[in-house]
Amino acid sequence: MAWSIHLALFGEGGNLPWPWLGAAVLAVLLRHGLQVLRDWSGQQLAFAVRADLREELIATATRLGPVHLTHRGHSGSWASRYQEQVDALAGYYARYLPALGLTLAVPALLLAAAFSQDWVAGLLLLLSAPLIPVFMALIGMGSEQIHQAQQERQNRLAGHFLDRIRSLDLLRRSLALEATRHDVAAAAEDYRRLSMRVLRVAFLSSAVMEFFSAVAIGLVAIYVGFALLGFVEFGPAGELTLFSGLFVLLLAPEYFQPLRQFAQSYHDRAGAIAAAAELAPVLQPPAVTGRLPEPRPTTSGTALLELRNVTVRYEADAQPALSGLELEVRRGEQIAVVGPSGSGKSTLLALCAGFVQAESGSVTIGAAARPFAWIGQRGHLFHGTLRENLLLGAPENTRDAELAEAMAAAGLRLDDPTLPQGLDTAIGEDSRGLSGGQAQRVALARALLSGSRLWLLDEPTSALDPQTEDDLLTRLLAHARTHDITVLVATHQESVYRRLGRIVRLADGQLQEDSDV
Amino acid sequence: MSDLSFLRRLFRRRRVWTALAYLLLALTWSAAIALLALSGWFITAAALAGAGLLLGFDLFTPSAGIRAAALLRTLARYGERIVGHEAVLRVLADLRSASFAAIARLPLADQRRMRSGDLQQRLIADIDTLDGVPLRITGPLVAAALAVLGAAVLAGWLAPWPAPLLIAGAAGLTLAASALAARFGQARSRALVERRSRERVALLDYFGGLPELLAYRRTRPYQADLQRREREQAGAVLLQERVALSADQAVQAVVALSALAMLALALGWHAEGRVSAPVAVLLALMTLGLNEALSSLPGALWRSGESLQAASRLRRLGVSPPDADGPPVQPSRRSRDLPADATFQVEELAVGFVEQAPLVAGLAFELEVGRPLVIHGASGGGKTTLLETLAGERVPLAGSVTLAGRPLDQWPEPVRYRAIGYLPQQNTLLDDTVAANLRLGLPELSDEDLWAALDTVELADPLRREGSGLDYRTGERGRRFSGGQARRLSLAWLLLRDAPVVLLDEPFAGLDAALERRVLERIRPWLENRRAVLVTHAPERLPEDWARLVIGSGGQ
Repeated sequence: MAWSIHLALFGEGGNLPWPWLGAAVLAVLLRHGLQVLRDWSGQQLAFAVRADLREELIATATRLGPVHLTHRGHSGSWASRYQEQVDALAGYYARYLPALGLTLAVPALLLAAAFSQDWVAGLLLLLSAPLIPVFMALIGMGSEQIHQAQQERQNRLAGHFLDRIRSLDLLRRSLALEATRHDVAAAAEDYRRLSMRVLRVAFLSSAVMEFFSAVAIGLVAIYVGFALLGFVEFGPAGELTLFSGLFVLLLAPEYFQPLRQFAQSYHDRAGAIAAAAELAPVLQPPAVTGRLPEPRPTTSGTALLELRNVTVRYEADAQPALSGLELEVRRGEQIAVVGPSGSGKSTLLALCAGFVQAESGSVTIGAAARPFAWIGQRGHLFHGTLRENLLLGAPENTRDAELAEAMAAAGLRLDDPTLPQGLDTAIGEDSRGLSGGQAQRVALARALLSGSRLWLLDEPTSALDPQTEDDLLTRLLAHARTHDITVLVATHQESVYRRLGRIVRLADGQLQEDSDV
Repeated sequence: MSDLSFLRRLFRRRRVWTALAYLLLALTWSAAIALLALSGWFITAAALAGAGLLLGFDLFTPSAGIRAAALLRTLARYGERIVGHEAVLRVLADLRSASFAAIARLPLADQRRMRSGDLQQRLIADIDTLDGVPLRITGPLVAAALAVLGAAVLAGWLAPWPAPLLIAGAAGLTLAASALAARFGQARSRALVERRSRERVALLDYFGGLPELLAYRRTRPYQADLQRREREQAGAVLLQERVALSADQAVQAVVALSALAMLALALGWHAEGRVSAPVAVLLALMTLGLNEALSSLPGALWRSGESLQAASRLRRLGVSPPDADGPPVQPSRRSRDLPADATFQVEELAVGFVEQAPLVAGLAFELEVGRPLVIHGASGGGKTTLLETLAGERVPLAGSVTLAGRPLDQWPEPVRYRAIGYLPQQNTLLDDTVAANLRLGLPELSDEDLWAALDTVELADPLRREGSGLDYRTGERGRRFSGGQARRLSLAWLLLRDAPVVLLDEPFAGLDAALERRVLERIRPWLENRRAVLVTHAPERLPEDWARLVIGSGGQ
């Protein structure tokens, strides 16, 4: 552009410099074409990172097993990690990293070009270069503050607002809706004042940067103008032409452009670092993993599970959850694992399931112990139809009649009014539509259908009323007895454990007694 | 009301702030354009004067102009950011209180749909999307229009008509390209939101159902399903991003090419003697300077689609822009008197979800003072549904529930809630202090009143020991309390309301047997002093002389 102007004004013949204008058109197309490529590859990188991380999250969760998984947050927070927090990393790879590379390379290149034309003009640009680290610190401080303000907002105000929305029923019953509405407005107002205080500082730091870039452009223009007029009598000013003057002037905004882009992408970095700080500990390999041990023959022919001097610890320096445990589970036994909460009941069950691994000692699992059936405090019902839920552990080609039979055995009627579409009834979020008792019955039917020879039940009836509990246990134990199924039930309820053949008592992770009733 | 007019009305209240922010942004961009254009003009004029081709060149006016533009750009930018954020934060505050009011006014059934965590998250996200409207959408659009108009007027004054036409053309082309890209993206981003929430359900199933999946060896198909979803999702998002980024670069290329076209035209006019050489350079650099203003348009239009969607979702929720303060969301406590007597009668009542299969039918009783009614029965039998109906929060399938001879739905809400105290099965506590929770709707209660109620439920001592007493914070969803403590705090809340009719759903859930006995003894006089219904799964622990009703299997 500069050369075209120079040629048109000072060139011979005064013709329009078409070849040079054509070259400029090509340069524009090249520049923006390359920038598209830069942006696309940045996105490609971000997507590759995201896909890797998501796969790793799933793999880690599976390797951790359900027990360690809940130590690192409930399933909702795992889902947020998978979706939102991994997404928050994208900006770092897509924008921040490319901008970081360009912040040093591009200004250096442009500076060299400016010096080749006029060293005083180059020096003017360079003078602002030592300020670049200062800029960066200012930008950094500024956006860190903006980011912290964002956090405040998330935690304080969104928290307040969300909490009041969640509590609408309580507020309505308290006749406090109108008062709360004013509270919500007041909290929003407080937030506004607080954030403005922080933002003012942040904006000031970026204003300083803008100021330096504007002043540098202005200084270059004035120097070049005075030099061309012949008012500058030192240095290379005498050799300055319209071309070199315009050239340096047009370079000046580009010189600062990468810095501004870097500043814009800096909040991507802050967001990504916050997300990474959350994700990194989650992705740490656990001290003890929950990988399923392979079944192998037990030493005694009748034993299904053999635990020898087993110690389990959740954290390296914590009290052991189980220590020096000796237990042999024979085929067809019905065992209650009892003890106060925190005594290691659930850990023992998780150990038999392979959800946690022993730190020391040996766990031998017989072939008949895999696969096994699992019923927790509140059996998980998957999003889908009732049929899909029942088929989870059953062969694909199980007939509807068999499903209905299993449901009947679990005490669930297909013509129940809460199951309007029978087996095709959709089960929604949070087992919507089914009561706690019904959910446990579905879990029981699922266990029946799976044909598993080992059933592990962790407080299976603690969320049920006595009648439902009684009915469910009767059905469950009768089926186990007639089908030679080994049952382990962790429970603290006497009404449950007095119905089982053998009682294993735990206290502080140790076996207290192993009394046959 | 359309989505657009919804947005307009939303921001009308803050129009002074937003208008000021737009003006300052236009000023910022104009100063930036002026800085470059004036510098080009100055350098060219200086070169010509230096070569003796230009006479009478005034050196100082343009150099002062350059300095002024440099300073103005910085100041206007700073001002724009301050004023703009001030406007946004004010709008945000308005929007939150308007959303709260709108949701509070919704019918109860609609309101309960809001319990889903995803819906709440989306509401927050939608409000956040709208709060950026003045800053990132209308601001750039208005300011870019002003900057382009200014440049076009100047070009029209300095040069023949094709000059302003070229500037207007570049702006129009930019606008068209951005709008096209935004339209393309908008349809797809709707699908993306849907897909994302389905993915979330699948994730909750995987993490929450991991014991079952491991037990039945079904992790692999579920992992494969998640991976497939992720690939589809990523592909769609990548396409979106690429369209947006390409639109950005295309706009910048359009502006740069227009600047070159302007240069060619202007140099041609200069050769014909129609414009001076410095003006020719000024025209070209001014067009180039439009880059900053125009390159923000693709992003602005892209986001306008998102904002319109967010606005339409909020509108569907019933959120309306705040006009002054609107009517109160709930009449105040003192607005009406309580009925003189609190006779509470149930006749031929049927409750449940479907008319053909009521959970409970043909129910009839009248509550007596001094003889609370204990309702028990199997879970899933409709105990909680019955209690909700008795509280007036659910419409009976058949029959009637009357308070002082009038059906519940004929009493105004404040009267109904003052007359009938309802303690639901689920504890809900505000994330606030103990005092704030207990004083809800009853700000006049004294500290002594609160302590007395806490003492009755044996919560006073633990709170005194803890140190902060009534200022102890309950935490999010009452997490700083154990289940039993939260239950007792809710019980204290009910005691303080002192309603003539009380309905308690599993009032002692989470309390151990000894504590349950003690708390029951303490509140027994209070319960026997009014009409009371208690739902429980352990009727044997309640006084034998209280009335009994069995619900569910086995009739009444």
